[in-house]
Amino acid sequence: MQVERIDETRGLALCAAEDGSQSTVEIALVEPVAPGDRLLVHAGVALVGLEA
Amino acid sequence: MKYVDEFRDPELGRILAAEILAAVEPGRHYKFMEVCGGHTHSIYKYGVDDLLPANVELVHGPGCPVCVIPMGRVDDGIAVAREPGVIFTCFGDMMRVPGSEGSLLEAKAEGADIRMVYSPLDALRIAKQNPDREVVFFAIGFETTAPSTALTLKRAKAEGVTNFSCMCSHVTIVPPLRALLDSPDLRLDGFVGPGHVSTVVGARPFEFIPADYGRPIVVAGFEPLDVLQAIRMILGQLADGRCEVENQYARVVPYEGNQRALDVMAEVFELRPHFEWRGLGFISQSGLKLSDAYADLDAEVRFSVPGVRVADPKACQCGEVLKGVIKPWECKVFGTACTPERPIGTCMVSSEGACAAYYNYGRFAREREVV
Repeated sequence: MQVERIDETRGLALCAAEDGSQSTVEIALVEPVAPGDRLLVHAGVALVGLEA
Repeated sequence: MKYVDEFRDPELGRILAAEILAAVEPGRHYKFMEVCGGHTHSIYKYGVDDLLPANVELVHGPGCPVCVIPMGRVDDGIAVAREPGVIFTCFGDMMRVPGSEGSLLEAKAEGADIRMVYSPLDALRIAKQNPDREVVFFAIGFETTAPSTALTLKRAKAEGVTNFSCMCSHVTIVPPLRALLDSPDLRLDGFVGPGHVSTVVGARPFEFIPADYGRPIVVAGFEPLDVLQAIRMILGQLADGRCEVENQYARVVPYEGNQRALDVMAEVFELRPHFEWRGLGFISQSGLKLSDAYADLDAEVRFSVPGVRVADPKACQCGEVLKGVIKPWECKVFGTACTPERPIGTCMVSSEGACAAYYNYGRFAREREVV
Protein backbone atom coordinates (compact mmCIF):
# COMPACT_ATOMS: atom_id res chain seq x y z
CA MET A 1 0.00 0.00 0.00
CA GLN A 2 1.11 3.57 -0.56
CA VAL A 3 1.22 6.14 2.23
CA GLU A 4 -1.01 9.15 1.54
CA ARG A 5 -1.18 10.98 4.87
CA ILE A 6 0.40 10.52 8.29
CA ASP A 7 -1.06 11.17 11.75
CA GLU A 8 2.15 11.27 13.78
CA THR A 9 0.47 11.81 17.15
CA ARG A 10 -1.52 8.58 16.80
CA GLY A 11 1.14 6.60 14.91
CA LEU A 12 -1.24 5.93 12.02
CA ALA A 13 -1.13 6.50 8.28
CA LEU A 14 -3.84 6.68 5.66
CA CYS A 15 -2.75 4.30 2.91
CA ALA A 16 -4.13 3.45 -0.51
CA ALA A 17 -4.13 0.04 -2.14
CA GLU A 18 -3.53 -0.49 -5.86
CA ASP A 19 -7.30 -0.56 -6.45
CA GLY A 20 -7.66 2.88 -4.86
CA SER A 21 -9.28 1.68 -1.64
CA GLN A 22 -8.01 3.44 1.47
CA SER A 23 -7.40 2.19 4.98
CA THR A 24 -5.81 3.32 8.20
CA VAL A 25 -2.57 1.55 8.95
CA GLU A 26 -0.51 1.27 12.14
CA ILE A 27 3.05 2.40 11.29
CA ALA A 28 4.84 1.91 14.63
CA LEU A 29 6.95 -0.97 13.28
CA VAL A 30 8.28 0.87 10.22
CA GLU A 31 8.58 4.53 11.26
CA PRO A 32 9.68 6.95 9.95
CA VAL A 33 7.58 6.86 6.80
CA ALA A 34 6.67 9.62 4.38
CA PRO A 35 3.83 10.16 1.91
CA GLY A 36 4.55 8.16 -1.23
CA ASP A 37 6.33 5.33 0.61
CA ARG A 38 5.17 1.81 -0.18
CA LEU A 39 4.49 -0.54 2.72
CA LEU A 40 3.74 -4.23 3.12
CA VAL A 41 0.62 -4.24 5.31
CA HIS A 42 -0.82 -7.23 7.14
CA ALA A 43 -3.94 -7.10 9.33
CA GLY A 44 -3.81 -3.32 9.51
CA VAL A 45 -0.14 -3.08 10.49
CA ALA A 46 2.78 -2.14 8.23
CA LEU A 47 5.45 -4.82 8.63
CA VAL A 48 8.10 -3.57 6.23
CA GLY A 49 8.81 -0.69 3.89
CA LEU A 50 9.34 -1.59 0.25
CA GLU A 51 12.08 -0.09 -1.88
CA ALA A 52 10.96 2.60 -4.30
CA MET B 1 2.35 -3.21 -10.96
CA LYS B 2 5.87 -3.14 -9.50
CA TYR B 3 6.88 -6.31 -7.62
CA VAL B 4 4.00 -8.18 -9.26
CA ASP B 5 4.14 -8.04 -13.05
CA GLU B 6 7.82 -8.92 -13.30
CA PHE B 7 7.25 -11.94 -11.05
CA ARG B 8 4.50 -13.25 -13.33
CA ASP B 9 6.47 -12.93 -16.58
CA PRO B 10 5.69 -16.04 -18.69
CA GLU B 11 9.01 -15.94 -20.57
CA LEU B 12 11.05 -15.81 -17.37
CA GLY B 13 8.85 -18.61 -16.06
CA ARG B 14 9.73 -20.79 -19.04
CA ILE B 15 13.44 -20.05 -18.50
CA LEU B 16 13.24 -20.97 -14.83
CA ALA B 17 11.29 -24.15 -15.62
CA ALA B 18 14.02 -25.14 -18.10
CA GLU B 19 16.72 -24.45 -15.48
CA ILE B 20 14.84 -26.59 -12.96
CA LEU B 21 14.55 -29.41 -15.49
CA ALA B 22 18.30 -29.18 -16.14
CA ALA B 23 19.11 -29.14 -12.41
CA VAL B 24 17.32 -32.34 -11.39
CA GLU B 25 19.08 -35.67 -11.38
CA PRO B 26 17.15 -38.20 -13.48
CA GLY B 27 16.03 -41.09 -11.31
CA ARG B 28 16.08 -39.09 -8.08
CA HIS B 29 12.79 -38.10 -6.47
CA TYR B 30 12.74 -34.68 -4.77
CA LYS B 31 10.16 -33.84 -2.13
CA PHE B 32 9.99 -30.20 -1.05
CA MET B 33 7.56 -28.69 1.45
CA GLU B 34 6.14 -25.22 0.94
CA VAL B 35 5.53 -24.15 4.49
CA CYS B 36 3.13 -21.30 3.93
CA GLY B 37 -0.48 -21.51 2.81
CA GLY B 38 0.09 -18.47 0.61
CA HIS B 39 2.59 -20.50 -1.39
CA THR B 40 0.14 -23.38 -1.71
CA HIS B 41 -2.45 -20.98 -3.05
CA SER B 42 0.02 -19.49 -5.56
CA ILE B 43 1.24 -22.91 -6.70
CA TYR B 44 -2.25 -24.05 -7.61
CA LYS B 45 -3.56 -20.71 -8.86
CA TYR B 46 -0.71 -20.25 -11.33
CA GLY B 47 -0.11 -23.90 -12.17
CA VAL B 48 3.46 -23.90 -10.82
CA ASP B 49 3.10 -27.65 -10.24
CA ASP B 50 2.59 -28.16 -13.97
CA LEU B 51 5.93 -26.51 -14.77
CA LEU B 52 7.94 -28.90 -12.60
CA PRO B 53 9.52 -32.17 -13.70
CA ALA B 54 7.61 -35.27 -12.60
CA ASN B 55 10.30 -36.14 -10.06
CA VAL B 56 9.94 -32.83 -8.17
CA GLU B 57 7.07 -33.15 -5.71
CA LEU B 58 5.67 -30.31 -3.62
CA VAL B 59 3.95 -31.14 -0.34
CA HIS B 60 2.00 -28.64 1.70
CA GLY B 61 3.00 -27.60 5.17
CA PRO B 62 1.28 -26.34 8.30
CA GLY B 63 1.53 -22.62 7.54
CA CYS B 64 -2.15 -21.82 7.06
CA PRO B 65 -3.11 -20.01 10.29
CA VAL B 66 -6.79 -20.96 10.24
CA CYS B 67 -6.11 -24.59 9.34
CA VAL B 68 -4.14 -25.36 12.49
CA ILE B 69 -6.77 -24.16 14.98
CA PRO B 70 -8.25 -27.24 16.72
CA MET B 71 -11.96 -27.81 17.13
CA GLY B 72 -11.85 -27.32 20.89
CA ARG B 73 -10.48 -23.83 20.41
CA VAL B 74 -13.40 -22.94 18.12
CA ASP B 75 -15.75 -24.27 20.80
CA ASP B 76 -14.00 -22.03 23.35
CA GLY B 77 -14.54 -19.02 21.09
CA ILE B 78 -18.24 -19.82 20.66
CA ALA B 79 -18.65 -20.21 24.43
CA VAL B 80 -17.17 -16.74 25.00
CA ALA B 81 -19.22 -15.27 22.14
CA ARG B 82 -22.42 -16.52 23.81
CA GLU B 83 -21.63 -14.77 27.11
CA PRO B 84 -24.18 -11.99 27.81
CA GLY B 85 -23.10 -8.57 26.57
CA VAL B 86 -20.17 -9.84 24.51
CA ILE B 87 -19.29 -8.64 21.02
CA PHE B 88 -16.98 -11.32 19.65
CA THR B 89 -14.69 -10.32 16.78
CA CYS B 90 -12.51 -12.41 14.49
CA PHE B 91 -11.04 -12.59 10.99
CA GLY B 92 -13.44 -13.61 8.23
CA ASP B 93 -12.07 -17.04 7.42
CA MET B 94 -12.17 -18.01 11.10
CA MET B 95 -15.96 -17.61 11.06
CA ARG B 96 -16.53 -20.77 9.02
CA VAL B 97 -14.10 -23.11 10.82
CA PRO B 98 -16.14 -25.99 12.24
CA GLY B 99 -16.13 -26.62 15.96
CA SER B 100 -17.65 -29.74 17.49
CA GLU B 101 -21.15 -28.23 17.42
CA GLY B 102 -20.94 -25.72 14.60
CA SER B 103 -18.98 -22.67 13.55
CA LEU B 104 -18.84 -19.08 14.74
CA LEU B 105 -20.94 -18.19 11.70
CA GLU B 106 -23.64 -20.60 12.83
CA ALA B 107 -23.43 -19.23 16.38
CA LYS B 108 -23.90 -15.76 14.88
CA ALA B 109 -26.99 -16.98 13.00
CA GLU B 110 -28.32 -18.29 16.32
CA GLY B 111 -28.05 -14.84 17.88
CA ALA B 112 -24.52 -14.36 19.20
CA ASP B 113 -23.05 -10.94 18.36
CA ILE B 114 -20.06 -12.07 16.27
CA ARG B 115 -18.46 -9.61 13.91
CA MET B 116 -15.85 -10.01 11.21
CA VAL B 117 -12.89 -7.63 11.36
CA TYR B 118 -9.97 -7.00 9.04
CA SER B 119 -7.59 -6.01 11.82
CA PRO B 120 -7.51 -6.18 15.63
CA LEU B 121 -7.50 -2.38 15.47
CA ASP B 122 -11.05 -2.64 14.08
CA ALA B 123 -12.00 -4.68 17.15
CA LEU B 124 -10.52 -2.03 19.44
CA ARG B 125 -12.50 0.63 17.61
CA ILE B 126 -15.70 -1.38 18.15
CA ALA B 127 -14.84 -1.54 21.88
CA LYS B 128 -14.46 2.25 22.04
CA GLN B 129 -17.78 2.68 20.22
CA ASN B 130 -19.55 0.29 22.62
CA PRO B 131 -18.31 1.12 26.14
CA ASP B 132 -21.21 -0.77 27.76
CA ARG B 133 -20.29 -4.04 25.97
CA GLU B 134 -17.37 -6.46 26.37
CA VAL B 135 -15.49 -6.77 23.07
CA VAL B 136 -13.32 -9.84 22.57
CA PHE B 137 -10.86 -10.31 19.71
CA PHE B 138 -10.13 -13.92 18.72
CA ALA B 139 -6.45 -13.64 17.76
CA ILE B 140 -5.08 -16.25 15.39
CA GLY B 141 -2.11 -16.46 13.10
CA PHE B 142 1.64 -16.85 13.05
CA GLU B 143 4.28 -14.21 13.71
CA THR B 144 2.95 -12.26 10.70
CA THR B 145 -0.25 -11.38 12.56
CA ALA B 146 0.92 -11.47 16.18
CA PRO B 147 2.57 -8.00 16.04
CA SER B 148 -0.77 -6.53 14.97
CA THR B 149 -2.46 -8.03 18.03
CA ALA B 150 0.40 -6.94 20.28
CA LEU B 151 0.28 -3.34 19.08
CA THR B 152 -3.50 -3.29 19.51
CA LEU B 153 -3.22 -4.52 23.11
CA LYS B 154 -0.57 -1.89 23.82
CA ARG B 155 -2.86 0.74 22.35
CA ALA B 156 -5.83 -0.53 24.41
CA LYS B 157 -3.76 -0.31 27.59
CA ALA B 158 -2.37 3.14 26.75
CA GLU B 159 -5.84 4.48 25.95
CA GLY B 160 -7.43 2.86 29.02
CA VAL B 161 -9.94 0.79 27.04
CA THR B 162 -11.07 -1.65 29.72
CA ASN B 163 -13.93 -3.36 27.84
CA PHE B 164 -11.54 -4.93 25.30
CA SER B 165 -9.85 -8.30 25.67
CA CYS B 166 -8.07 -10.86 23.54
CA MET B 167 -8.49 -14.62 23.26
CA CYS B 168 -5.00 -15.43 22.09
CA SER B 169 -4.48 -18.39 19.75
CA HIS B 170 -1.34 -17.13 18.06
CA VAL B 171 1.22 -19.77 17.13
CA THR B 172 4.88 -19.75 16.14
CA ILE B 173 6.37 -21.31 13.04
CA VAL B 174 9.57 -22.99 14.20
CA PRO B 175 8.18 -25.65 16.61
CA PRO B 176 5.85 -27.31 14.05
CA LEU B 177 8.66 -27.42 11.49
CA ARG B 178 10.87 -29.14 14.02
CA ALA B 179 8.02 -31.55 14.83
CA LEU B 180 7.61 -32.34 11.13
CA LEU B 181 11.33 -32.92 10.71
CA ASP B 182 11.28 -35.27 13.71
CA SER B 183 8.32 -37.18 12.23
CA PRO B 184 9.16 -40.58 10.77
CA ASP B 185 6.14 -40.24 8.41
CA LEU B 186 7.80 -37.72 6.18
CA ARG B 187 11.07 -37.54 4.27
CA LEU B 188 11.72 -34.08 2.90
CA ASP B 189 14.59 -32.85 0.74
CA GLY B 190 14.10 -29.14 1.34
CA PHE B 191 11.76 -26.31 2.26
CA VAL B 192 10.27 -23.30 0.52
CA GLY B 193 10.33 -21.03 3.57
CA PRO B 194 7.50 -18.72 4.63
CA GLY B 195 7.79 -15.21 3.20
CA HIS B 196 5.51 -13.06 5.31
CA VAL B 197 6.36 -14.69 8.64
CA SER B 198 9.98 -13.97 7.79
CA THR B 199 9.34 -10.23 7.41
CA VAL B 200 8.91 -10.36 11.19
CA VAL B 201 11.20 -13.15 12.42
CA GLY B 202 13.77 -12.90 9.60
CA ALA B 203 15.48 -15.87 8.01
CA ARG B 204 17.85 -16.59 10.91
CA PRO B 205 15.38 -18.70 12.98
CA PHE B 206 15.39 -21.28 10.17
CA GLU B 207 19.11 -21.94 10.46
CA PHE B 208 18.34 -25.01 12.59
CA ILE B 209 16.95 -26.76 9.49
CA PRO B 210 20.29 -27.04 7.68
CA ALA B 211 22.30 -27.15 10.93
CA ASP B 212 20.34 -29.85 12.78
CA TYR B 213 18.55 -31.71 9.98
CA GLY B 214 20.79 -31.22 6.95
CA ARG B 215 18.03 -29.81 4.74
CA PRO B 216 18.15 -26.60 2.65
CA ILE B 217 15.53 -23.89 3.02
CA VAL B 218 14.87 -20.91 0.75
CA VAL B 219 12.60 -18.14 2.06
CA ALA B 220 10.38 -17.20 -0.86
CA GLY B 221 7.84 -14.65 -2.04
CA PHE B 222 4.37 -15.45 -3.27
CA GLU B 223 4.34 -14.74 -6.97
CA PRO B 224 4.74 -17.72 -9.31
CA LEU B 225 8.30 -16.80 -10.30
CA ASP B 226 9.23 -16.41 -6.63
CA VAL B 227 8.21 -20.02 -5.99
CA LEU B 228 9.92 -21.30 -9.14
CA GLN B 229 13.12 -19.44 -8.31
CA ALA B 230 13.07 -20.81 -4.74
CA ILE B 231 12.77 -24.35 -6.10
CA ARG B 232 15.64 -23.62 -8.50
CA MET B 233 17.73 -22.36 -5.55
CA ILE B 234 16.98 -25.46 -3.43
CA LEU B 235 17.96 -27.70 -6.33
CA GLY B 236 21.12 -25.62 -6.76
CA GLN B 237 22.06 -26.21 -3.12
CA LEU B 238 21.47 -29.95 -3.45
CA ALA B 239 23.48 -30.11 -6.69
CA ASP B 240 26.37 -28.19 -5.11
CA GLY B 241 26.28 -30.25 -1.92
CA ARG B 242 25.39 -27.10 0.03
CA CYS B 243 22.83 -26.89 2.80
CA GLU B 244 21.92 -23.45 4.09
CA VAL B 245 19.27 -20.77 4.54
CA GLU B 246 18.86 -18.60 1.47
CA ASN B 247 16.57 -15.62 1.03
CA GLN B 248 14.87 -15.41 -2.36
CA TYR B 249 12.44 -12.76 -0.99
CA ALA B 250 15.16 -10.23 -0.18
CA ARG B 251 13.09 -7.40 -1.65
CA VAL B 252 10.82 -7.74 1.40
CA VAL B 253 12.48 -9.97 4.03
CA PRO B 254 15.45 -8.62 6.02
CA TYR B 255 17.60 -11.54 7.19
CA GLU B 256 17.27 -10.35 10.80
CA GLY B 257 13.52 -9.63 10.58
CA ASN B 258 11.77 -6.64 12.15
CA GLN B 259 13.30 -6.07 15.58
CA ARG B 260 10.57 -3.64 16.65
CA ALA B 261 7.93 -6.26 15.91
CA LEU B 262 9.89 -8.88 17.84
CA ASP B 263 10.26 -6.48 20.78
CA VAL B 264 6.55 -5.68 21.00
CA MET B 265 5.69 -9.39 20.76
CA ALA B 266 8.15 -10.15 23.57
CA GLU B 267 6.52 -7.50 25.74
CA VAL B 268 2.91 -8.55 25.20
CA PHE B 269 3.16 -12.34 24.77
CA GLU B 270 4.82 -15.29 26.41
CA LEU B 271 5.06 -18.88 25.25
CA ARG B 272 2.52 -21.43 26.43
CA PRO B 273 4.10 -24.65 27.70
CA HIS B 274 2.02 -26.59 25.15
CA PHE B 275 -0.49 -25.73 22.44
CA GLU B 276 -2.73 -28.07 20.48
CA TRP B 277 -2.49 -27.95 16.67
CA ARG B 278 -5.14 -29.47 14.49
CA GLY B 279 -3.79 -32.72 13.15
CA LEU B 280 -0.38 -32.28 14.75
CA GLY B 281 -1.42 -32.67 18.39
CA PHE B 282 0.27 -30.83 21.25
CA ILE B 283 3.55 -29.11 20.42
CA SER B 284 5.70 -27.69 23.19
CA GLN B 285 6.24 -23.92 23.31
CA SER B 286 4.44 -23.37 20.02
CA GLY B 287 1.58 -21.11 21.13
CA LEU B 288 1.44 -17.61 22.60
CA LYS B 289 -0.55 -16.28 25.54
CA LEU B 290 -0.69 -12.81 27.01
CA SER B 291 2.13 -11.97 29.39
CA ASP B 292 1.44 -11.18 33.03
CA ALA B 293 1.68 -7.46 32.26
CA TYR B 294 -1.31 -7.83 29.91
CA ALA B 295 -3.28 -10.44 31.88
CA ASP B 296 -6.03 -7.87 32.54
CA LEU B 297 -6.74 -7.91 28.78
CA ASP B 298 -6.76 -11.71 28.54
CA ALA B 299 -10.24 -13.00 27.62
CA GLU B 300 -9.32 -16.41 29.04
CA VAL B 301 -8.88 -14.74 32.45
CA ARG B 302 -11.95 -12.53 32.09
CA PHE B 303 -14.35 -15.25 30.92
CA SER B 304 -14.96 -18.91 31.64
CA VAL B 305 -13.42 -20.89 28.77
CA PRO B 306 -14.32 -24.61 28.59
CA GLY B 307 -10.90 -25.66 27.27
CA VAL B 308 -12.16 -29.11 26.31
CA ARG B 309 -10.10 -31.07 23.83
CA VAL B 310 -12.20 -32.33 20.91
CA ALA B 311 -11.05 -34.99 18.48
CA ASP B 312 -11.20 -34.15 14.77
CA PRO B 313 -14.03 -35.81 12.80
CA LYS B 314 -12.99 -39.32 11.76
CA ALA B 315 -13.65 -38.65 8.09
CA CYS B 316 -11.42 -35.57 8.05
CA GLN B 317 -7.75 -36.04 7.17
CA CYS B 318 -6.64 -32.42 7.61
CA GLY B 319 -3.92 -33.61 9.97
CA GLU B 320 -2.30 -35.75 7.30
CA VAL B 321 -2.68 -32.94 4.74
CA LEU B 322 -1.07 -30.46 7.16
CA LYS B 323 1.83 -32.84 7.70
CA GLY B 324 2.22 -33.34 3.96
CA VAL B 325 1.61 -37.09 4.34
CA ILE B 326 -1.28 -37.10 1.86
CA LYS B 327 -2.33 -34.77 -0.94
CA PRO B 328 -5.68 -32.97 -0.58
CA TRP B 329 -7.40 -35.15 -3.18
CA GLU B 330 -6.33 -38.30 -1.33
CA CYS B 331 -8.60 -37.38 1.63
CA LYS B 332 -11.70 -39.55 1.72
CA VAL B 333 -14.13 -36.62 1.81
CA PHE B 334 -12.29 -34.16 -0.49
CA GLY B 335 -14.63 -32.56 -2.98
CA THR B 336 -17.58 -34.72 -1.99
CA ALA B 337 -18.71 -34.31 1.62
CA CYS B 338 -16.09 -31.58 2.15
CA THR B 339 -16.18 -28.54 -0.16
CA PRO B 340 -15.48 -24.82 0.35
CA GLU B 341 -19.23 -24.25 0.57
CA ARG B 342 -19.67 -26.94 3.25
CA PRO B 343 -16.26 -27.65 4.78
CA ILE B 344 -15.63 -30.46 7.23
CA GLY B 345 -11.97 -29.70 7.73
CA THR B 346 -10.10 -26.45 8.21
CA CYS B 347 -7.94 -26.96 5.12
CA MET B 348 -11.08 -26.52 3.02
CA VAL B 349 -12.16 -23.35 4.87
CA SER B 350 -9.37 -20.86 4.42
CA SER B 351 -8.29 -19.62 1.01
CA GLU B 352 -4.76 -20.48 2.19
CA GLY B 353 -5.78 -24.05 3.03
CA ALA B 354 -4.28 -26.71 0.77
CA CYS B 355 -7.64 -28.39 0.15
CA ALA B 356 -9.40 -25.14 -0.78
CA ALA B 357 -6.52 -24.09 -3.04
CA TYR B 358 -6.53 -27.46 -4.73
CA TYR B 359 -10.33 -27.56 -4.99
CA ASN B 360 -10.47 -24.07 -6.52
CA TYR B 361 -7.62 -24.45 -9.01
CA GLY B 362 -5.69 -27.69 -9.07
CA ARG B 363 -8.55 -30.13 -9.57
CA PHE B 364 -9.02 -28.85 -13.11
CA ALA B 365 -5.45 -29.77 -13.99
CA ARG B 366 -6.02 -33.18 -12.44
CA GLU B 367 -9.19 -33.64 -14.47
CA ARG B 368 -7.14 -32.93 -17.59
CA GLU B 369 -4.67 -35.63 -16.54
CA VAL B 370 -7.48 -38.12 -16.06
CA VAL B 371 -8.86 -37.35 -19.51
